[in-house]
Amino acid sequence: MLRALAGPGARRRRRLLAGGGILAVAATAVAVLAGTSAARSAASPIKIGILSTCQGPFAPFYPETTAGARTALIQLTGAKPKGSGATSPVVGAKIGGHPIQLVYGCSNAQPDNALKEARRLVEQVKVNILLGPLSGDEGIAISNYSKKQPGTTFVNGTSAAQDTTLHVRSPNFFRFTTDGAQWMAGLGTYAYKTLGWKNAVVIGDDYSFPYTQAAGFVAEFCSLGGNITKRIWPPLGTKDYSGFITQIPKSGVDGFMMAVGGTGTVAFVKDFSGLAGNVSKKMVGGSVTIDPTAVSALGDRLDGVVAGEPIPAGATGAAWQKYAKAITKYYPKVSPNSLFTAGYYDEMWGIVLGLKKVNGDISGGGKKFRAALAKVAWSSPHGPVKLDANRNAIADNFIVQVTSGGGFKTLRDIKNVDQTFGGHFSPSTPAPGRNSPACVHGNAPSWAK
Amino acid sequence: MTWRVRIADSAGAAAGLLVLAFALAWVGYKAFGAGFGVNGGVPDWIRVTLSGLTLAGLYFVIASGFTLIFGLMRVVNMAHGSLYLLGAYAAFEFQQHQFVSWGWGVVLSTLLVGFFGAVMHQLFLRWNQGQELRQALITIALAFIFGDQMLAYFGGAQHYVRPPDALEGNADLGIFCNTGGIFAGCLTFPWFRFVAIGAAVVVALGLVVVLKKTRFGMIVRGGVDDGAMVSALGVNIQAANALAFFIGSALAGLGGALAGVFLVIAPGEDADFLLKALVVVIVGGMGSLGGAALGALALGMIETWAPQYLPGAWSNYSILLTFLLLVFVLSVRPFGLFGRAT
Repeated sequence: MLRALAGPGARRRRRLLAGGGILAVAATAVAVLAGTSAARSAASPIKIGILSTCQGPFAPFYPETTAGARTALIQLTGAKPKGSGATSPVVGAKIGGHPIQLVYGCSNAQPDNALKEARRLVEQVKVNILLGPLSGDEGIAISNYSKKQPGTTFVNGTSAAQDTTLHVRSPNFFRFTTDGAQWMAGLGTYAYKTLGWKNAVVIGDDYSFPYTQAAGFVAEFCSLGGNITKRIWPPLGTKDYSGFITQIPKSGVDGFMMAVGGTGTVAFVKDFSGLAGNVSKKMVGGSVTIDPTAVSALGDRLDGVVAGEPIPAGATGAAWQKYAKAITKYYPKVSPNSLFTAGYYDEMWGIVLGLKKVNGDISGGGKKFRAALAKVAWSSPHGPVKLDANRNAIADNFIVQVTSGGGFKTLRDIKNVDQTFGGHFSPSTPAPGRNSPACVHGNAPSWAK
Repeated sequence: MTWRVRIADSAGAAAGLLVLAFALAWVGYKAFGAGFGVNGGVPDWIRVTLSGLTLAGLYFVIASGFTLIFGLMRVVNMAHGSLYLLGAYAAFEFQQHQFVSWGWGVVLSTLLVGFFGAVMHQLFLRWNQGQELRQALITIALAFIFGDQMLAYFGGAQHYVRPPDALEGNADLGIFCNTGGIFAGCLTFPWFRFVAIGAAVVVALGLVVVLKKTRFGMIVRGGVDDGAMVSALGVNIQAANALAFFIGSALAGLGGALAGVFLVIAPGEDADFLLKALVVVIVGGMGSLGGAALGALALGMIETWAPQYLPGAWSNYSILLTFLLLVFVLSVRPFGLFGRAT
């Protein structure tokens, strides 16, 4: 450049450069002005980051989560899907004139990893709304992180640890799905009354979500008079569960509640059937145990297994069918009968309803938007959804059975389960853990009586 | 070596042996201390030990390929886990499309992955011969690319390969029969897992025969000791390298095709099994086949014995024992049990 300037004809070039410089300044000024005026004229985009797990033990659920979120956006904003891949784009989504931009983040179910992705999306990509994460420990990390980012709105994915909302209670973290304990509503009753169990064992992955699931099961099963003989916690990502399965006492146990999720479900059930035969009647499932990805991978080995879930998998009602048909229409490879599909669908639904209430106005760090979001309530494919004071959902819960041929049958619908679980949990009760809550008889929740 | 170092070394070795003896004594006490009846510890000991052997066999098949490639070429193939997963997916695909029977599916997947590995070696690694860091970085990059390509093509869903009908189901061992409870009936173990243990033994014997009795084996053994000298003698070391890469990759593919039956095929398993292979060969010593066998046995048994025999409240820490094993072995034998300084 210097050499070019020094050569013949340099003056002309310099003039040209000066002209270019002026042009550049002018262009920048125009752009800046355009930018500010765009914000005022309500045409600036709203960036939504979708954080889910594309690696690690829950990677099988990645396509379900992104399909759920995008289907809600398509249905509510009239957007059009381009392709049916796990991250293929959705075009033409607009709310109040603001185009909606989707950005994807990927974690591996570990909280440090999810936090790193959330930071990237919030601090570098500068999303206005972060939808996610998928897994329990990740959710606790992100809801804590959200307190440090008051200008961003965080909406949960499907992470379902109890702490995330009940104990952390971040003012800008919203969860339109229920927690892992709420997902167990009705299962303790099924085990105690229908299966006639008196003594049960709990086996689950060793982290916050299975602790929360166990908390719901233990609270209800024990309130009716049942006893928990043992609680076994294999580490997440265990390859061979034999050494954990053999820890189930050989006598005096009627069955076990199993909350080993993701790739662990398939490994666990195969190992169990190798050592002790068919699982049905001996096992009731955590919510993720009967995810369609596990059921289709395991063939008939899960036939007859009953689990608690926040969705009426396989239901024939009009609302559920409408949702299921939409998912299948836009993303034919994804099953609508997964709580991950439905969970991300619900969360996106909540976001869009909130945005519509304020006509897409997320100015001032989204304060107005969050005030509207806290009041959002609607009739979802699985019944009414609304938020409690800690911004955690109050919604129906279901007892679902796997039928032969890989289908689902909903056995029971429990209305409006809230996070206190019939008075068993509150911000002052200890967080669910390896040995908490204790097994206490009496004080059965209303649906268990 | 000064006497100080020697004493420190033998003190470390003694401590290691002491811990090992204590662990085995503890397992023995828990397993046999309550007698040999159906209510004693023996039935569970048989269950977890057989499971551990299956796992050890699988780890050996995968790690032996890893260690063979490293031994001859000093290539730390960080894409080995991807080759494992590719073998598993290939076996699954052959079965899904019903091209061939299960057995041929395993053979074809093994060959396919071997071929894939050989091509990878020719295209990306051959011209970087001797540049160990560069090769490791190239294979890490390839591992990411393969992982994402497999996720894009096979999707996130979990799969497993169905064994042939004759091997589906459990072997009834006819001993330690329970009348009630969750484990009602006699002691059982899946037929296929016996096959997997057998396959690992066959692979081990096959590798021993190849390494001790064939010209190729001689070249490999020579190459492990002094690669430069072997090629100076006029041996076509490039052909030997290519063959070693083929066999090493094929073993990863075979491991995947077998594991597809009794474990789970899903994204992310590639990284997991690379880690297992690394642990096995670091414990056993890079480049040593006997070391891979011992390392695989140690890892497999620790992974299944630990949850069963650690005191109740500690069983969720079983995963840490794997790393304690690494710490112990490396502190006493920095190059692994059978490893040598290069």
